Amino acid sequence: MLLALAIAMASAVVIQLGKQPAYHWDIPADFPAPSVPNDNPMSVEKVELGRWLFYDVRLSGNGTMACSTCHMQRLAFTDGRPRSIGSTGELHPRNSMSLVNTAYASRLTWANSLLDRLEDQALTPLLGDNPVEMGMGGREAEVGELLASDPEYRVLARRTFPNDENPYSVLNAVRATAAFVRSIISFDSPYDHYLAGDAGALSESAERGMDLFFSERLECFHCHGGFNFTDSTTHASATVESVGFHNNGLYNLDHSGAYPSDNTGLYDMSGDVRDMGRFKAPSLRNVTLTAPYMHDGSIRTLKEVIDHYARGGRLIESGAQAGDGRLSPYKSEFVVGFELSDQERADLLAFLTALTDESVLTNPRWTNPFEP
Amino acid sequence: MQPVRSVKHPASLFLLASILVASAACSAKKNAVQIPFAATWEGQPINCNRGPYSLSDLRFFVSDLQLIDSNGAFHTVEFIEDDRWQQATVAMVDLENGEASCANGTADTHTRIHGVADISDFTGIRFTVGVPFELNHANPLLAAAPLNDPAMHWHWRSGYKFLRAGVVTESDGTWLHLGSIACNGTVRDIRSCDAPNRIIVELPHFVPSDRVGIDLSALFAGVDLRNGERSDCSSGPAETECAGMFGALGLTFANQPGSVGSVFQVLH
Repeated sequence: MLLALAIAMASAVVIQLGKQPAYHWDIPADFPAPSVPNDNPMSVEKVELGRWLFYDVRLSGNGTMACSTCHMQRLAFTDGRPRSIGSTGELHPRNSMSLVNTAYASRLTWANSLLDRLEDQALTPLLGDNPVEMGMGGREAEVGELLASDPEYRVLARRTFPNDENPYSVLNAVRATAAFVRSIISFDSPYDHYLAGDAGALSESAERGMDLFFSERLECFHCHGGFNFTDSTTHASATVESVGFHNNGLYNLDHSGAYPSDNTGLYDMSGDVRDMGRFKAPSLRNVTLTAPYMHDGSIRTLKEVIDHYARGGRLIESGAQAGDGRLSPYKSEFVVGFELSDQERADLLAFLTALTDESVLTNPRWTNPFEP
Repeated sequence: MQPVRSVKHPASLFLLASILVASAACSAKKNAVQIPFAATWEGQPINCNRGPYSLSDLRFFVSDLQLIDSNGAFHTVEFIEDDRWQQATVAMVDLENGEASCANGTADTHTRIHGVADISDFTGIRFTVGVPFELNHANPLLAAAPLNDPAMHWHWRSGYKFLRAGVVTESDGTWLHLGSIACNGTVRDIRSCDAPNRIIVELPHFVPSDRVGIDLSALFAGVDLRNGERSDCSSGPAETECAGMFGALGLTFANQPGSVGSVFQVLH
């Protein structure tokens, strides 16, 4: 009886030791918590392990590149290039997406109907070979070896995954990196302050721009709606899955609605021609920092993006990509074009600028731990 | 080719027969079977060493291998698990050795499938190039060999590259990555794929001494390998270069049915 009690107490202590404090999301009360996969709960330790991995060039085949190479904090975790370049110099077909509030994305990357978890998405940049991004394909065991051999990783991994017989696995590295990315949450823009009751947080111009943004005349909010400014948004208490892909009239090759063959959007996934040129509407949070724009970085400035939507599609007059996107048979019904006065244009830009959360760029929770 | 573990000694045969009678209910698959594979270009062997045409890649998964006996009956071959190339229902064939033009490949090769079947003599074979659906969409980081090779996985499409094949010339080249596309559901919960892209190969006149030839000149017959423009196919519906390759494999591409597959042949 005594022995049984002693064992029971010992177990209780072990359980207590193994238990990690609940992860605290730094989210204003008005916003929902992100949904987190059951098999990868958040913890302070995991996010910290993920932060080191996110910035570690040893996660690339030739030691030249980390996740942070294409996702730089000072650019709201984008890279400023039209299209990203992999560790071996290969040009990626797509523009690097911001990682801010990715925790709320119902689908990941620009046009993938299948990818709904960061843990699965992370495998493509890490291991993919078409194009080569980080170039660890075939060398994934080295990621586990890194966790096992580096003294600091060893401690972090053991602390993060205390119940794992072998915590030093590529799977755990991916889990931790996903948890770090999931932790990059931003609700501290002037617009957020305005919503929270600080009427002075938006200028009068930005207020007018807000009304334009949410107007039926401009239609911006149909695709860039909700608290994260994208219709592909989900959260912990969501009851309906919201996923949206849209053709915004960038291309119309051969008058058939075709997009350049290396970047056809959802069509590449589905093979259904009605999906030609359909891409996810990215979140507009921090949009002033994420230039150039569109899935292929083919629009340089935010002002030109507004011109594009005002025209209702892009005209490319000559060359291999010639065509009038406005006339595409696959274009979204919400990209209809509009006229803006110079003042209205400035107002809309002022509103979009008010979606920038400067704290994201310097928040020490997400800085590079290799540069103390 | 001879069945490797055919039993010829009468006494052994008697002993084996006794064991078989005792265990007939468990398994009658006693005959070792090997099916070898080889790459060809216009009837000649092709490899990774530089030549007018050289291999740059050739790796693929085989499942549902059946032997066809002289009565036309099918006999399933169970793969021998080896923790590297084969598990019970899927095997990987690797005909590139990582050298020269195959620099993106691996040094190890696996040129023949090892299995057991309930017959040793056969007159034809049938197999599927592809990973069975129930294994195709599981988490690759938790998969057993040979499904743990990231070069063969398509993380962004979900599922495996069933076939990686490529050739290069002095100034040109092409490749194919084949796998299921147009899948429905989400990565952890794929329900179906509208374009499964599994190839069913039937070679009705294939005897134990034969090899399966993969004729890359047939696979890439529609590609201009002299114009200096690298062209490739990763099974996407907008990739025009795919049409000819899919056709040669007997697969439908963008609603265009393929011809009778001509890539997989019997090598005597």
